[in-house]
Amino acid sequence: MALKPRPPRDAALAAEALGGALPPLLVAAERVAATVAQGVHGRRRTGRGDSFWQYRPFAEGDAAQRVDWRQSARSDRLFVRETEWEAAQTVYLWVADGDGMRWHSPGAPPKRDRATLLTLALASLLLRAGEHVRLLGGAPHPASGRQAAPAIAALLGQDSPREQPLPPQHRVPRHAHVVLIGDFLEPLEDIRAAIGYFAGIPVSGHILQVLDPAEAELPFRGRIRFEGLGAARRAAGILVPRVEDIRDLYHQRLQDQIAGIAAIAAASGWRASLHRTDHAPGTALLGLYEALANR
Amino acid sequence: MIFAHPWLLLGLAALPVIWWLVRASPPAPRSQAFPALRLLADLRSTAESPERTPPWLLLLRLLAAACLIVGLAEPILDPGHSLPGRGPLLIVMDDCWASAADWAPRSAAANAAIAAASRTDRPVALLSTAPGPDGRPPAIIGPMTPEAARARVAALSPLPWPADHVGTAHALVQWHMPGTAVLFVDSGLAEAHGETAFRAALTGAGAVTDARAAETAPLLQTPLSRDGHLILRLAAAPQPVDRRFAVLAQGSDGRTLDRVTIRLAAGATEAEAPLGLPTILANSVTRLQLSGVPTAGGTVLLDDQWRRRIVGLASAAGDAADAPLVGPLYYLNRALGPDMEVRHRPLDQLLAQPLSVLILSDRPLPPGPDRDAVVRFVRRGGLLIRFAGPLMAQNPDPLLPVRLLQQDRSLGGALSWNKPEHLAPFPSNSPFAGLPVPKDVTVSRQLLADPASLAGASIWANLTDGTPLVSSAPLGQGRIVLFHVSADADWSSLPLSGLFPAMLDRLVRLSAGSADTGGNARLAPAEIMNGFGDLGSPNAAAAPISAADITTVLPSPKAPPGLYGPAGGRRARNLGGILPAPVPAAAISGAARADLSGAHAERPIGPALVAIALLLLVADVLASLALRGVLHGPGGGVGPGPDRGSGPRRPRLGRRIGRRARTTVVIAALAVTGLAVTGLPLARPAEAAATPVPPCALQTCLAYVVTGNSSVDRLSRDGLASLSDFVTSRSAAILASPVGVSPGQDDLSLYPLLYWPIIPGDAPPNREAIAALNRFMENGGIILIDTEGGGTGAQGSGAGLQPGATAALRQAVAGLVIPPLMRLNEHHVLAHSFYLLRDFPGRYQGAPVWVAAAQDAANDGVSPIIIGSNDWVAAWDMNSDGSFPYATLPGDDQQRLYAYRFGMNLVMYALTGTYKGDQVHVPAILERLGQ
Repeated sequence: MALKPRPPRDAALAAEALGGALPPLLVAAERVAATVAQGVHGRRRTGRGDSFWQYRPFAEGDAAQRVDWRQSARSDRLFVRETEWEAAQTVYLWVADGDGMRWHSPGAPPKRDRATLLTLALASLLLRAGEHVRLLGGAPHPASGRQAAPAIAALLGQDSPREQPLPPQHRVPRHAHVVLIGDFLEPLEDIRAAIGYFAGIPVSGHILQVLDPAEAELPFRGRIRFEGLGAARRAAGILVPRVEDIRDLYHQRLQDQIAGIAAIAAASGWRASLHRTDHAPGTALLGLYEALANR
Repeated sequence: MIFAHPWLLLGLAALPVIWWLVRASPPAPRSQAFPALRLLADLRSTAESPERTPPWLLLLRLLAAACLIVGLAEPILDPGHSLPGRGPLLIVMDDCWASAADWAPRSAAANAAIAAASRTDRPVALLSTAPGPDGRPPAIIGPMTPEAARARVAALSPLPWPADHVGTAHALVQWHMPGTAVLFVDSGLAEAHGETAFRAALTGAGAVTDARAAETAPLLQTPLSRDGHLILRLAAAPQPVDRRFAVLAQGSDGRTLDRVTIRLAAGATEAEAPLGLPTILANSVTRLQLSGVPTAGGTVLLDDQWRRRIVGLASAAGDAADAPLVGPLYYLNRALGPDMEVRHRPLDQLLAQPLSVLILSDRPLPPGPDRDAVVRFVRRGGLLIRFAGPLMAQNPDPLLPVRLLQQDRSLGGALSWNKPEHLAPFPSNSPFAGLPVPKDVTVSRQLLADPASLAGASIWANLTDGTPLVSSAPLGQGRIVLFHVSADADWSSLPLSGLFPAMLDRLVRLSAGSADTGGNARLAPAEIMNGFGDLGSPNAAAAPISAADITTVLPSPKAPPGLYGPAGGRRARNLGGILPAPVPAAAISGAARADLSGAHAERPIGPALVAIALLLLVADVLASLALRGVLHGPGGGVGPGPDRGSGPRRPRLGRRIGRRARTTVVIAALAVTGLAVTGLPLARPAEAAATPVPPCALQTCLAYVVTGNSSVDRLSRDGLASLSDFVTSRSAAILASPVGVSPGQDDLSLYPLLYWPIIPGDAPPNREAIAALNRFMENGGIILIDTEGGGTGAQGSGAGLQPGATAALRQAVAGLVIPPLMRLNEHHVLAHSFYLLRDFPGRYQGAPVWVAAAQDAANDGVSPIIIGSNDWVAAWDMNSDGSFPYATLPGDDQQRLYAYRFGMNLVMYALTGTYKGDQVHVPAILERLGQ
C-alpha cells in the first residue's frame, strides 16, 4: 500500500466502517473545557440545553413565551421550564508525519496510514457523540456534527509530508483532551518536553505509539547497512556486520523507549498505549475508546 | 584422456591468485532504510561477523574456476587410435546388404577415425563399396573437411544389394595421395567377382586398417514348401560355435504369427527348420524376418505365387445374369471383392488357363465337352462352387454334392403359412465355423437335397429347420460346393448380407494355389526393400524385370529386392533366393586388424565440465545472497511501490531475476498462444466432401432429355410437370417435378421414364449418350420418343407439321438397341394399365404408337421404348390458371382428356410394369377358385 493519499471521503468511510461497531464516544470529562459550545456534558445548572432541568415559578421580567402552560395549568401559579446547561468537550487530535511515519516493511501498511485511520475512526466516534473534534494545528474552529468527518479526513490526507515527529506547541484550551498518535522514536527528553507543555496547560491526553513490525522485531539477517530516513538520511548509515547478533540489544533499547514514554505519560496523568501496524486496527481503536470513555 | 587445447591448463596456475582475491573481499553489505536508526547506534555485538569469505564458499569458487579451465581445455575420453601416416584419411565403407545388422558400430568406427583425423587436421575421403541407389558405380568423395565427411557418413545407409568390388577397385586405383591412412569398414564377406583386385587396390592406396565384426551377416533363404509345411532355411559363414537364430513369421498387418528357432551347428553353413503354423495361418504369412536388427538379408518376402488363387466366374454372352443389382454374377463380383483375382470369361476360356476356383451360378451342365472339362478341372484339384437357381431346379446334373429333389421349396410366400427360414449356426467341421450368423438373413426358397444322398456329402451350413444350405463333396483331388440358394437376392437375403463375402472368402481359401509364372511379362518394381528390409518406393535406377527372371537376376540398383508386378499379382524378389551363400573373406595381408565392436565413439567431457562450473557459479551466487540475507527475512519480496525511497531498498539482483522471469513467462505465454492460434486451422477437421444427393434419388420423378433447344426443353418440362400433377392427384403415385437430363453425363438410373423429343435439325446424340440410353433400356428404363408431329405423308392429324421427322428419328436412334416393334393396340398392357384406352392421342391424333413386339423375359415383358409423334407434352401442358396453351388437333374436348389418360397409363406402365396385365385376369382366377 503506497502512501498515495486516499480521497477524503474514502478515508472517512473506512474510518466509519472501523468505528461502526462501537457506540458513540462520549469523552469522560472531569472538567469540561470552558467552551460556549453546546454539547452533551451537563453542567448541573440551568443554561442552554435540551434536557429538562427544573420548573421554577414565574418571576417578573420573564418573557411570556417562557411560561410552561401545561405545568401551569395544574395549579394556580405560573411556572417557567428551565433546561440544563449542556456543553461539549473538545478533543484535539494529532498524527505524527514524516518519512519515518510513511515507511513500512513488506506486508504491513505505513504507520502514517494506520495512524490516520485510527484518528479518523476516533473522530467519527466523537462526532457521533456530539463532541467537538479539532486537529492540533488544524482549523481554527472545532468541528462538530457528523458532516465534519470528511473535512478532517481531507485535512489529514494532505499530501505534503512535513517532518513533524512530535506535536507542535499549539495553544489548547484548558481541560480539553489531546490524543497524540505517532511512532515516538525521538529521544525521551524531546518527548518529555512536548508532553510537558500540554500537561502544564493543563490538558489531559493519550499517547498512542504506532510501530512497524520490523521496528518492533528487527527481523533482518546478515550484513546490512542501515540508513536513516528524513532528516537523518543525510547522516552516514550504520553498518551492522551481523544483525542477528544485535537483535537482543535492540529489543532492550526499544523496551526502554516504550517504558520511558509510559513513564512520561504517567507523570502527567496521561495514558500511553502501543499499537503495531501488523495488528488489527480495531484493537487499538477499542483501547483508545476505553481509555477516553472510562477515565 | 587427452586434451584438445592442453595449453589452457596453464590457467590452473592462476588458481592461487583467484583464491587470494576471493578470500580478501568480504561480501558487500545490503542497504536497508530503517526509521529506528537511533536505537541501533553504537550497538556492538559480542560475536563478530566474519569479514572474510567462509572457507566452503572459497572452495566452491576455486572448484568452479578449476572446472571452467579444465573444461575449456576440452578433455576427451576414449580417444580413437591414432592414424598411421601423415596424409589424408580414406574411409572405405562397406554399405552392402551384409553391413546392415551392425550399421551403428560401423558408423561409429568411421566417425572415430574422422574425429582422429580432425584432431590432426587431416582431410578425409570417403568411398562406399556398393553402387548407389541411382546405379552409379562406387567413387571416392573428397578429400574434404572432417565435418563434411561426418555429414557424408551420416547420410550413408546400408543398401540391399552386394558390394561392387570391381568398381571399388577401379576407384581405389585412381587414388594417389602419399601417406594415406585407409580405414576399411569391412562386411567380412567375399564377393564373387573382383575380390583379389580389390584387396590389391586397397593395400596399394595406403596403410590399411581392417575393421570388421567377429561375425558376418547371415542370409535368410527363401523357404521351401515340403509336405504341406514351409521349411525355413538359413545360410551363414561358418563359425566354430553353435548359433541360434530366431525367425519371425509376420502377417500382412505386421503381427508376428510365429517364431521359429533355427540352430546352426558349429562349422555348418546352412540350417533349416519347419514353420509349425496351421495352414490357414501359414497362408497369411507375408514376411519372414530374422529377429534382431532388421536387414535386407534377414528378410524374406512371401508373394502370392504359391497360394495365388484365381477365381473364375463363368459367364455367357448376352446373359442377363450380370445385370446390376439383380443379376447373380453382380452379387458374386461384389462379394469376391477387389483383392481376389477374378476372371470373368466364358467357361471354355476359363478352363483353358490355370484356375483355382470355378463359380457357376445356376448354370446347368448338360453332358458334353463343357461338363467333361469341369470334371477334369475338379479332379485335378479344382474347387467348384455352384449356386442353385430356377434352371438347376428344372434339370439337375450329377455334378453336385447331393442329389436334389426335383422341385424347389418356397417359404413365406403370399400363399403359404410358413415363414422364411433363418440360418443355423455353422457346424464345427464346416469351413465357415466361427463366422457370426446375422439374424436378418432369411431364406425363402431353396433346393432340397434327397435325404438318402446326404451320407456321401458334408453339410457346411444348415437352415434352422435342418435342411442344408451349403453342401459339399470331394471329387478326385478337388471338391464341389453347392449353395442351395441362388446367388442373387431372389431366393434369400444371404447375398445381401456381409456373411456372403466372408463365406466366399473362406471357400476360396480352401482351394489350392495355381502356379502361373506369368511368362515374359515385364514386372515393374512396386515396393523396394531398403538395407534394413523396410519396403518403400523404388529407387531411381530400379527397372522392370521379366517375370521369368524375377528370382534369378542378381540384386543390383537396377534390380533391387522387393515386390514387383501389379497390385493383384505381386511377385517377391528376395536376396536369399538369389545371392550365393555367404563366404567369409580372408584377412587382408599387411593390414592392421581392428575390432568393430571395440570402436567407441570418443567422449569429449569439456562441455560437461563447463556446465558443472556454471552450476557451481550459480550455487555460489545463491550462497552469497544467502550470506547477505537476501534470501530470508523482510525485504526479499516485493517492496513498497515507487514511493520516495522511504521503503527498504530492494536487492537489484532479485528485481532483475523477477523481471526476467516475468519476461520469460510472457514470452512462453505468447508462444503458446501463437501455437494455439496457428494450430486452430490444423485442428479443425477437414469437412468431408459430400457428393450432392440428386433430388430424384429421394422422390420418384419423370425425366426428359435436354435437347439444348430452349423452347422444346421448356415444353418438355411444363408438359411433364402437368402430367406429374395429374398423376399425383388421380393415383397413389406421387411424382416430384420433372428433371432435365443429359444422357451420358447424368445418372439415368434414378428415373423410370425418360421423355425424349426428337426435333429435326437437332444434333444426334453422341456415343456416350447412346451407350447411356442403351444401358438405361437394358436395366429396365422406358424411353418415350416423340417427334412432336409427323413428316409429310405420315398418318394422323399431325402429319406434315414436323417435316423431316422420320429422317431425324432414324438419325437419332441409329445407335440404340431397339427391339422389334409393333403398333400399340388396345390389347397391350399400356392400353389398360390404369384407364382402358383404345386411342392414344396427344396434341395430334391418329398417328401410330410403336412399342416392343417381343415380351422380353429379362425385362418382365415391359417395352423399353415407345415411339410416337402425337406431341403428348403439348397436350399435357397446362398454364397455372388452368388454361391450355396448345390447342389440340382436330380439337375435340375428349382428345385432351384421353391424352392425359394415356400419360397416366404410361406412368403406371413405367412404375408397375406388366402388373396390370396380370390383374385383368384376377376376376377369372377368383371365379375359378370359387368353384
